[in-house]
Amino acid sequence: MAIDGLIILDSAGRPIIQSGFRSTSPSYALVHIDAYNNAVAAAESKHGSRPGDIDPVIYVPPFNSADSPSACCHVPCGDLRILCPLSGDVDPLFAFAFVQTFVDILTEYFATVNAVTLKDNFDVVYQLLEETLDSGGHPLTTSPNALRDIVLPPSLLTKLLSVAGANFSHTMNAGSSASGPFASPIPWRRAGVKYASNEIYFDTAEEIKAIVGKNGTPLSCNVWGVAQANSRLSGTPDCLLTFTNAHVLADCSFHPCVRLQRWARDKSLSFVPPDGNFTLFEYRYAPAASSTGTSLVASQGGKDNVPLPIALKHSFDITDTSCTFEVSVTSRLTTRDIDGFVAELYVGDSATAIKCVVGRGSAGMSRGLATETGSGGSSWTFDAKNKVVRWEIPKMASSSSWYLRGSFNSTSTPPRPAHAIQTHFEIHSYTFSSLKVESLKVTGEQYKPYKGVRGRTSGNIEWRW
Amino acid sequence: MSGQYFNSITENASRLGMRIQESISEHTRELAITRGASTAYLEAPDDMSKNIRKQLDSNSDREKLDAMKRLIAMVSKGRNVSEYFAQVVKNVASHNLEIRKLVYIYLLRYAEQEPDLALLSINTFQKDLTDINPLIRAMALRVLSGIKVPMIGSIVVLAIKKCAADVSPYVRKNAALAIPKCFELDPSHTPALITIVTALLRDRSSLCIGSVAVAFEAVCPTRLDLLHPQYRRLCRILVDVDEWGQVDLMSLLLRYGGRQHRPGSEPVTQFHRASTPIAESSGRSGSNTHILLRWAPSRLSKVTQPLLRLLPGSKEVSRIVLVYISVIAGDSPSLFTPYYARFLVSTDDLRVVKLTKIQLLLHLLTPETYSSILREFIDCADDTDNEVVAAAIQALGKCSHQIPESTQTCLNALISMIKSRQDTVVSNAVLVLKILVQNELEAESHNRPIQTQQNPGMSIISHLAHRIDDIKHPQARACVVWLAGQYASSDAPSAGCAGMHDWAPDVLRKAVKGFIDEDPIVKLQVITMAAKLLVLNPTNRTLLLLGRHTLNLAKYDLDYDVRDRARMVGALLVGVLPKEANGADEVLEERGGVVLRREQVRVVLFNGKAGVVDKDKPSDDRSLLGSLGMITGRPMRGDVILTDWLEEGIEPSLRTNPDDTPTPSAIPTAISSRPHSKAPSAHASPVILTPGASPSGSAMRDSSKGVWRDLDSFYAEESEEEEEDDGSEDDEENEDDNGEEDGEAEADEETDEDDSDEDSLDATANETRSMLQPSAGASS
Repeated sequence: MAIDGLIILDSAGRPIIQSGFRSTSPSYALVHIDAYNNAVAAAESKHGSRPGDIDPVIYVPPFNSADSPSACCHVPCGDLRILCPLSGDVDPLFAFAFVQTFVDILTEYFATVNAVTLKDNFDVVYQLLEETLDSGGHPLTTSPNALRDIVLPPSLLTKLLSVAGANFSHTMNAGSSASGPFASPIPWRRAGVKYASNEIYFDTAEEIKAIVGKNGTPLSCNVWGVAQANSRLSGTPDCLLTFTNAHVLADCSFHPCVRLQRWARDKSLSFVPPDGNFTLFEYRYAPAASSTGTSLVASQGGKDNVPLPIALKHSFDITDTSCTFEVSVTSRLTTRDIDGFVAELYVGDSATAIKCVVGRGSAGMSRGLATETGSGGSSWTFDAKNKVVRWEIPKMASSSSWYLRGSFNSTSTPPRPAHAIQTHFEIHSYTFSSLKVESLKVTGEQYKPYKGVRGRTSGNIEWRW
Repeated sequence: MSGQYFNSITENASRLGMRIQESISEHTRELAITRGASTAYLEAPDDMSKNIRKQLDSNSDREKLDAMKRLIAMVSKGRNVSEYFAQVVKNVASHNLEIRKLVYIYLLRYAEQEPDLALLSINTFQKDLTDINPLIRAMALRVLSGIKVPMIGSIVVLAIKKCAADVSPYVRKNAALAIPKCFELDPSHTPALITIVTALLRDRSSLCIGSVAVAFEAVCPTRLDLLHPQYRRLCRILVDVDEWGQVDLMSLLLRYGGRQHRPGSEPVTQFHRASTPIAESSGRSGSNTHILLRWAPSRLSKVTQPLLRLLPGSKEVSRIVLVYISVIAGDSPSLFTPYYARFLVSTDDLRVVKLTKIQLLLHLLTPETYSSILREFIDCADDTDNEVVAAAIQALGKCSHQIPESTQTCLNALISMIKSRQDTVVSNAVLVLKILVQNELEAESHNRPIQTQQNPGMSIISHLAHRIDDIKHPQARACVVWLAGQYASSDAPSAGCAGMHDWAPDVLRKAVKGFIDEDPIVKLQVITMAAKLLVLNPTNRTLLLLGRHTLNLAKYDLDYDVRDRARMVGALLVGVLPKEANGADEVLEERGGVVLRREQVRVVLFNGKAGVVDKDKPSDDRSLLGSLGMITGRPMRGDVILTDWLEEGIEPSLRTNPDDTPTPSAIPTAISSRPHSKAPSAHASPVILTPGASPSGSAMRDSSKGVWRDLDSFYAEESEEEEEDDGSEDDEENEDDNGEEDGEAEADEETDEDDSDEDSLDATANETRSMLQPSAGASS
């Protein structure tokens, strides 16, 4: 299983960085860049299709009769596009998995990944590319812990030293050759890690994905969770993490460091953590799975009964050339704020003259009875390129109501907005599963580490009308 | 890391201070702009590059580094900078690791284009193979194997051999990956390379075994016999291999298991046992899903959860996974029916994802789920994308075909769609309605006569006929006019024209009224309808006039298709209509020719039109699951088909390995994160030892060791097995040929795939049968 290479394009579709493409003809990379840019242009010019609606796998016809056909997988990453040409018997999932890993590595190295940081650090990116991808297209070293030994992350210090001409990296590598690259007995953990203060943090991030039908009942609703850990522990610590309510976890997948047998036996996580940030495990929140198991899941059609934290009401009135709409949203949480609420409505590519009013209060259905005036911090914008009306409420206090009223005209009859409103939001220090860590024991080392657990929730709910 | 930084700082402190003082004025710019310093390299104009040569030859590391960065930046911009090769190559022995790395990156790019220059520096590379830094050793080997000069083949083989025995697993990994390149360069080194691969297969480190699998597949894919002694160990360490290595190793082990052994035999169960934890815990990246999909088909149920787990991942991943799920669901929908709600269409899905989801939901239709899925299709018909709307409405039609209970709901939904203001919705709804009505009428004609007013098919037509004024879309209108004409005949006594439904003449009247403003396709249908009605009742005066009027209008139409149709219909009706109705009798008499009787005309106009149902394409071949061709929908060269099970297995003793002897103190090299189920491991200890050999393995070694010394003697005794093996090897060779010959017709390959699909279904049956019994290999 091998990919053909990687090409990183900037927002204008020009290549910034590309891997060698040694095994293919020189034009191969260019053909793929063209194929991608053509697909972008086609998606933008095609009537009725939303910009950016491009198949992630583009078929690339053979360049000449001697070549075989290939495919171009592409992934957005900030303002960049990462292309991954494939040919022959390759699973596109493999390519996407590799690209994702590479993006994660870049994020680990440069914190933010965009055209500027990549251009700033292009020499490091080339080194990373060389170490993560063999010229035959086989992934080499992708574990961040092992990579950090081979390719030095850019830092102010290394920059200063290189400017001063000091032989920093050489001394460092030569000096530590005993504990050099791949000397660690544990593939995912660097050897000889030392911290003055030993800490380990766990972040549980849950995301609710739901679709609410026209009659207001959820058609599908799932909560997906991921536990991110940041380990800053010296030596080779062996952690044992136990939960008070492990039964809420379903469909778990783990970092390779987790001992599966232990999990299967008593639902506790036993692992030697990698150094730094890593994803410990991923799960689905299963509220009812504890009592009845899979049979209930089956009868529900694969949706879990999680109460939605917001309620949204809407009314649309479409005439031949115009459309008026009224949307109101109410927080169902009683003790917490909802942050960064965004509602998006695609209004169709012939929409013009968009006018909206936003405000706080129960203006929704009982017209004109707004209890409070003013927008209360909420605002609306119109994205003319994507034809999307965005309604933003930075902070939604508990049990508060907000409304958006608007209208638009359409040059084609009748107006054709999307029949669904997409909403996104975040809730801090709150999880649907209320997964609780019972204890974290660290054995194998003398120190007592500082431990921290946090939770947060994001929402992604579609309301059809 | 920070500790190391700190040490280095103290080491360099005095030097640093001195240097900074020396050069502070000179380098203020770089110090001030720490960010954006490199951007200058990428965006520097080309004339900046003329100093590069001088800089590379300078003594200062800083100058050299600057020049190298500049060069790499130019490579990045797509310039050909091979002219600096000679200068760059001189710096390969630089004591600054950063410069050295950049030099190697440069060399890796250009060693192929400038083999002669690269050859000049070959001594340096060879010397670097003994460098104390494993990174340098690995890089030297990479460059060495990248030089495409067949002449140095033997040097490369020697280098690989040396590195394959390196202490660092990282270097061994690179050695393994160099093998395919060397093999490509000069296949005459194959025997030497096979020896190296065989040695590497014994490697204890889980780090490089994946790359060894790559080398094995490239150099000696048919020498599966080399795997015999290693198979059990490889299965055991599979969990410790990184995700990329797992993919390559699993496909090799799967091929070994598939080629040599029956399902249920020891190696196959062992493979499944080893790969099951990987399947069950695989994360959201999905890199190994490919192999999981190519498991024995009966194990697809194990893949259900891993596949579903991938769905909430990135858009790209879910797009691919949905295709796989859709194909699996086509064969065994029950695996995914409970989870249909996870496949509901979201407005911000990509178009191709929406279409796949609709297709997938169609597979999941059951009497229990149909109401929800039907509602989903109806909601999808509101989509902003015409293709999605069309697919959703067509799905409604298929739904009513698959689940007879749903027909009424489907019809209601479709009829309400006809009132929609969206052209696409209306036209698609009418087209689907037409098919539904035809199916309905066809089904009914077997049970009761069509003419009864109560049957739903006719009531839909009558409903459509009454709404003809509201149906604006030309295609839909044409369709309704055609339906009205085709199914106009009725034996029931009526107040209007005899022999037809009440609404039929009315539709014609309304259509003729606005005839000149109609679309050509509607006009054509109106003419046909007029002819049909006239045949049904040639005596009604009003109808006759209406028909004549239609033909006259059509005769002078702008569209020549319409004029043609009018002429043809007019000629067809000559024998049907009463003499006085034909305005120009004499002309016609003169023309002569065959005049059809009314019954004959009726046959021409009405028969053979019913039952036109679009058939589904045959579902995709499952053996292609996880291949590129399935996603792009076009044949991609090189799709591999897994070979069949061998009837007779290979003697288990061949897989016993003397090294496998269970030792209480195994080598403490790697932590086994996922201990094998057979090996109980201590949790208290921070380091879990690699488990020893499985009990069954050692037992068999005792019982049968010494009977078979090697594969040849084994085959010599079991002639029957030998034949089997030969046969399948031939098959494999044929496949290889197919892959290699570029001009080979696609059709051949397709038939091959079909065959193998049938066989794999057989294999499924076999496997399920043998799964019921305890496997012979494991129990003996």
